[in-house]
Amino acid sequence: MANASIEFKGSSFTLSVLHLRTSNLADIRADLVKKVSQAPDFFYLVPLVVSIEKLESPVDYHAVKTLIEEFNFIFVGFTGSVAKEQRKLIREQGFSFINTAKTNSTKINTSEKTAIADKSVVTETKTIAVPPQCNLYTDKVHRGQIRSGQQIYAKDQNLVVIGSVSAGAEVIADGNIHVYGSLRGRAIAGAKGHHKAQIYCQNLEAELVSINGNYWLSESMEQNWGSPVYFHLTDSELTSSKLI
Amino acid sequence: MARIIVVTSGKGGVGKTTSSAAIGLGLALKGHKVVLIDFDIGLRNLDLIMGCERRVVYDFVNVINGEATLNQALIKDKRVSSLSILPASQTRDKDALNKENVGKVLEELGQSFDFIVCDSPAGIEAGAMMALYYADEAIVTTNPEVSSVRDSDRILGMLASRSRRAELGLDPIKEHLLLTRYSPKRVEEGEMLSVEDVEDILSIPLIGVIPESQAVLKASNAGEPVILDTESDAGQAYQDVIERLLGEAVEFRFLNVEKKSILSRLFGG
Repeated sequence: MANASIEFKGSSFTLSVLHLRTSNLADIRADLVKKVSQAPDFFYLVPLVVSIEKLESPVDYHAVKTLIEEFNFIFVGFTGSVAKEQRKLIREQGFSFINTAKTNSTKINTSEKTAIADKSVVTETKTIAVPPQCNLYTDKVHRGQIRSGQQIYAKDQNLVVIGSVSAGAEVIADGNIHVYGSLRGRAIAGAKGHHKAQIYCQNLEAELVSINGNYWLSESMEQNWGSPVYFHLTDSELTSSKLI
Repeated sequence: MARIIVVTSGKGGVGKTTSSAAIGLGLALKGHKVVLIDFDIGLRNLDLIMGCERRVVYDFVNVINGEATLNQALIKDKRVSSLSILPASQTRDKDALNKENVGKVLEELGQSFDFIVCDSPAGIEAGAMMALYYADEAIVTTNPEVSSVRDSDRILGMLASRSRRAELGLDPIKEHLLLTRYSPKRVEEGEMLSVEDVEDILSIPLIGVIPESQAVLKASNAGEPVILDTESDAGQAYQDVIERLLGEAVEFRFLNVEKKSILSRLFGG
C-alpha cells in the first residue's frame, strides 16, 4: 500500500504473568489482596496475562477477569500449556489466548496452592541481563587508521585503536576506549550505560567525547588539547586528566 | 599484468585530471606502454587536457555496450606512440558502468599495456567507486587545505574497504599522497597547511609535491600536459613523481621558499 495510514509490525514486550494454582476464586482474591497491598502503585494498571496451566480443575474465566480488574490490573488474556480444546473454549468465550513459545520464569514455590504474581517473558525474547562490569570485557583491537566516515563499534568489549582516529570518524565501545595515536573524531565509551568506562588517547584533538551519555564538545577540551589525556566520570561529571 | 593506478581525491578541482595526464605521459616518455582512462562519464575532460578532443569517435561506454571495440575507441597520443587514451562518454551517464563490464575492459587492456591510469571523477559515488574498484595503487591528490584533506581521508577509507582488493582480502591498495597547488611562501606565513601537517593527518607515504604554478593553466588550454613544460616547476615536480613511481628515491623539491641572493634581487632573475 502506498502512503498507508497504518502499519502492522511484530514486536515483543515483557509482560507480567499471574500463574493460578487454584480455581478457588476466594483463595485467589485473598492472596491478591495480600500481594497488591504490599505495593499498590507498582501493580496499578499493569497489563496482566493469566496462566491457567497449573489448574487442576476448570475455572470461571469471566470471573477471573472481573477479579483481577478489581485490583486495577489490565486484563490481556490467558496463557499456558493447555490442550487445544481448552484454548478453543477460551477463545469462544471472547478471550485472547496467548501462546507461549518459551517462558523464562523464576523459581516458584509449587507446594503452595496460592496465586503468585510472577514476572515472566511471555513472548520469545531474551531476558535483559545486567551488563557485566567494565573490567570483565575483552579488548577489540583495531590496527590502522580509522578514516573519516568510518565507524567502529566494540560491542560488549573495550576498544583499542593502534593508530589515529580521523576527524569525521566515530569509535564506540560498550567498555573503555584506548587510542594509541591522535583522537580527532568522536569517541563514545560506556555506550550501554557503564559509568565506569574511560577514554584514553595520546593526542587530544577530538570533536566529541562521551562516557555513558555525558559528553563534551571540543570547546570544553581546551585545557588539555593536544596532550595525552584520559577521560572518566566523577559523580556523573565528565573529567579529563593528563596522562603524563 | 598491468599496474592499475587510480588517481583519486574525493574533493573536486584539486588536480586529478592534470596529474593523470602528466603522469600518464611521463611514464610513456620513459618507454612504458600506458593507457589513460577517463572515468568521469558525462563530464569528460581528460581528452581536452591531453589535446585529443577532436579525435574522439568512440568512448568507454561504447566499448562497454559492445558498440565499438577497444581498438576503435583508443586514441593514440601524437607525441608518444606508447600512450593511448580511452575517453569517457559525454552524452551517456555513468549507470552504463558496472563492476563486471569495467573489469572485462581492464583485463583486455592489461594484456597490451604496462600501466593503466584511471582518472577518477570527484566525489564518493558510483563513478569514483568504479574508478577505484580494480586499482592496485592509488594516487590520492590533495590540496593543502582543510576540506581537501578531509575528503582525501574519506576516500582513503573507501580505498581500504570498498575496493576489490579489500573485498577479496588481498594485499591492500598501495596508497600515495600527491600534494598539489603547494605554496611554500604561504606555508611559511602560516596560511597554508604544510607537508608535515597533511602527512600527520593522512598518514600515507608522499609521492610528490606539485607547487602552485601558472604553467598548469597554460598547459590545459594548450592541450599539452604540464610535464612537457620542462622549464616549469610543476613540470619538473611531476618528473620527480614519475621517478618515484618507478622506484627511484628522489629528494623533494619546491618545498621551501626560494632564497634569492642579493645579486639576483638587484638584477632580477
